[in-house]
Amino acid sequence: MKVKIENLVKRFSDNTAVDNFSCEIESGELIALLGPSGCGKSTMLNMLSGILMPTEGKIYFDDDDVTYLAPEKRGVGLVFQNYALYPHMTVLENICFPLEIQKVPKEERIARAKKMAELVHVETMLDRRPGQLSGGQQQRVAIARALVKTPRLLLLDEPLSNLDARLRIEMREEIRRIQQETGVTTIFVTHDQEEAMSISDHIVLMKKAVLQQYAAPQELYDEPMNSFVADFLGNPPINKTFGVMNRGKIVLDGGCEVAYPKAVDLDDGHRVILSMRAEAIVVEGPSEAMAEGVIEQTYVMGKEVLAFVKLGDFSVRAYIPAELQLTKGQTVKLSLKNKGVFVFDEETGERLK
Amino acid sequence: MEKFKANFKLSMVFVYILLIFGAIIMIFPFFWMITGAFKTTLEINLFPPVWIPSSFNLDNFKYALQAAPFARYFINSLIAMVGSVSVCTFTTILAAFAFSKLKFPGREVIFTLLLALMMVPFEMLVITNYQTVISWKIYDTVWALIIPFTSSIFYTYILKGFFDSVSDSLYYSARIDGCSNWKYLWRVLVPMAKPSLVTIILLNAISRWNSFLWPMIATINVSNRTLPFGLYAFVNEGGAKTELMLAASTITVLPMIILFLFARKNIVNGVARGGIKG
Ligand SMILES: Nc1ncnc2c1ncn2[C@@H]1O[C@H](COP(=O)(O)OP(=O)(O)OP(=O)(O)O)[C@@H](O)[C@H]1O
Ligand SMILES: [Mg+2]
Repeated sequence: MKVKIENLVKRFSDNTAVDNFSCEIESGELIALLGPSGCGKSTMLNMLSGILMPTEGKIYFDDDDVTYLAPEKRGVGLVFQNYALYPHMTVLENICFPLEIQKVPKEERIARAKKMAELVHVETMLDRRPGQLSGGQQQRVAIARALVKTPRLLLLDEPLSNLDARLRIEMREEIRRIQQETGVTTIFVTHDQEEAMSISDHIVLMKKAVLQQYAAPQELYDEPMNSFVADFLGNPPINKTFGVMNRGKIVLDGGCEVAYPKAVDLDDGHRVILSMRAEAIVVEGPSEAMAEGVIEQTYVMGKEVLAFVKLGDFSVRAYIPAELQLTKGQTVKLSLKNKGVFVFDEETGERLK
Repeated sequence: MEKFKANFKLSMVFVYILLIFGAIIMIFPFFWMITGAFKTTLEINLFPPVWIPSSFNLDNFKYALQAAPFARYFINSLIAMVGSVSVCTFTTILAAFAFSKLKFPGREVIFTLLLALMMVPFEMLVITNYQTVISWKIYDTVWALIIPFTSSIFYTYILKGFFDSVSDSLYYSARIDGCSNWKYLWRVLVPMAKPSLVTIILLNAISRWNSFLWPMIATINVSNRTLPFGLYAFVNEGGAKTELMLAASTITVLPMIILFLFARKNIVNGVARGGIKG
């Protein structure tokens, strides 16, 4: 099912949790709703599920306006961060519950619940209660319960945040598998960029109630629309430097000149942010040098060496080939690749180049 | 270390002596009542006292049941207790749900006012309840024993405390699954609150069973009396023999003792958890 969100606004008495949010989600996609804590992700999800009513704007499921529709009429499945399983019911009873409410005959609902339990691999623990399950198993039961009524839209609110690092990776692949097997349009909330990058078809990146960018993971990484997006994605974090334009060159604070060709036509005196991914910086490469820096520190990491290079006031991470044998204090020539280097307006954070 | 151990042991001995002493004080009246109920007139008046009655026949019980309509009292007590406790539990559940989970204007104010009512002593309510009972024309009927006790702010408060502790995400999950408030209450909240509910029901049942003042005021006909008042009247009016009084007392408290033995864990847990007074 397609989801269309138009100019959605949610205001609580004193603050705006979601501001003028618009996007269209294609049918059958797995969407990650990504952003730092408190940016309005849960609020967004709750408006889609019908728990919260928007202040302004519209939500469409396919062509139906569901903005003010009651939650039970929307046909959504929701998995909460704490799973919200009914503690007094067994796993089977939990999964059956939505069907029981819909008055599905007993035999049919047990059959459907068992099929769901198989899909999420909890078929061997149908008689246990939630208290007797591990976090990962509880999560899968919660997903089965959300899926059993064949929702048109599956919503997951930080379903992995209670799990340990290994289980998280396992479970996110599990979610991807279940989503692909059922083909249900899915939106899942996370504040972990790696999680979002690894399994989603598209990412909705939010900051302080505002949609920053809606794109495929790779596009988000390669073509961030503003400096927030560039900062948010990537590991190690992107190198962020500040400077001012002077005769086609970027003069970083502290006096280092960077002759980045793409930035030549920017006006003199324009304050900019130059953001460079570590892998986009070439040290002592064959191409023409764009800046000079001083090696501050090197760390050998297997076949590569991670170096901190001083550029003006800033210390940037770059990878250098091990055979170069560079040492601390040495001056090196740097060039920048086309991909992974961005120039933003310092004031607005908007992408310039 | 050795010394510490010795000290520790000594203090434990002391504690146990105290506990045993306390237990004897608590148990002795029951022991005296139950054994006394089997004694003959001679045995009960002997000094030094006879500890174990010579025979365990049920004559005293028979006589006591003949001397006053205890069977009738028993049934009245039972009807009054079951009637008021079941309705009260129902209203308590509904009220606790409303005050805990439903949003309506003035919710906090209303609840605070209701809580404040708990400070009015029961003895004062007796007067207004009496007038109500008279004007409703249910004076000296079983309804007078049931209707004034069909709601309880105190138990509502306890249950609301439990409902408050249930995460809202459970509620929203259920709503999204198509569950109405009503179904959510009975299918999810109430089963989850079972331990709290059992405690509330037990405490309520015990206090209904033992209630004395109100049945005395609200009934006049002998056939409408409940056990505690009936027992009191039996003792006062009849100038009855001690062993018959003890037999009657045993009949009165026996159901509560049985109830307590079965539900001991629930009562203790509930009291410990909720800080409920008796
Ligand atoms: N019921 C409410 N009343 C008032 N403000 C609220 C309410 N719910 C959320 N907010 C505010 O709205 C903003 C967004 O909250 P939201 O729960 O959507 O954040 P989130 O992105 O889910 O954060 P997290 O990752 O920590 O879960 C926050 O500033 C929060 O304080
Ligand atoms: Mg949240």
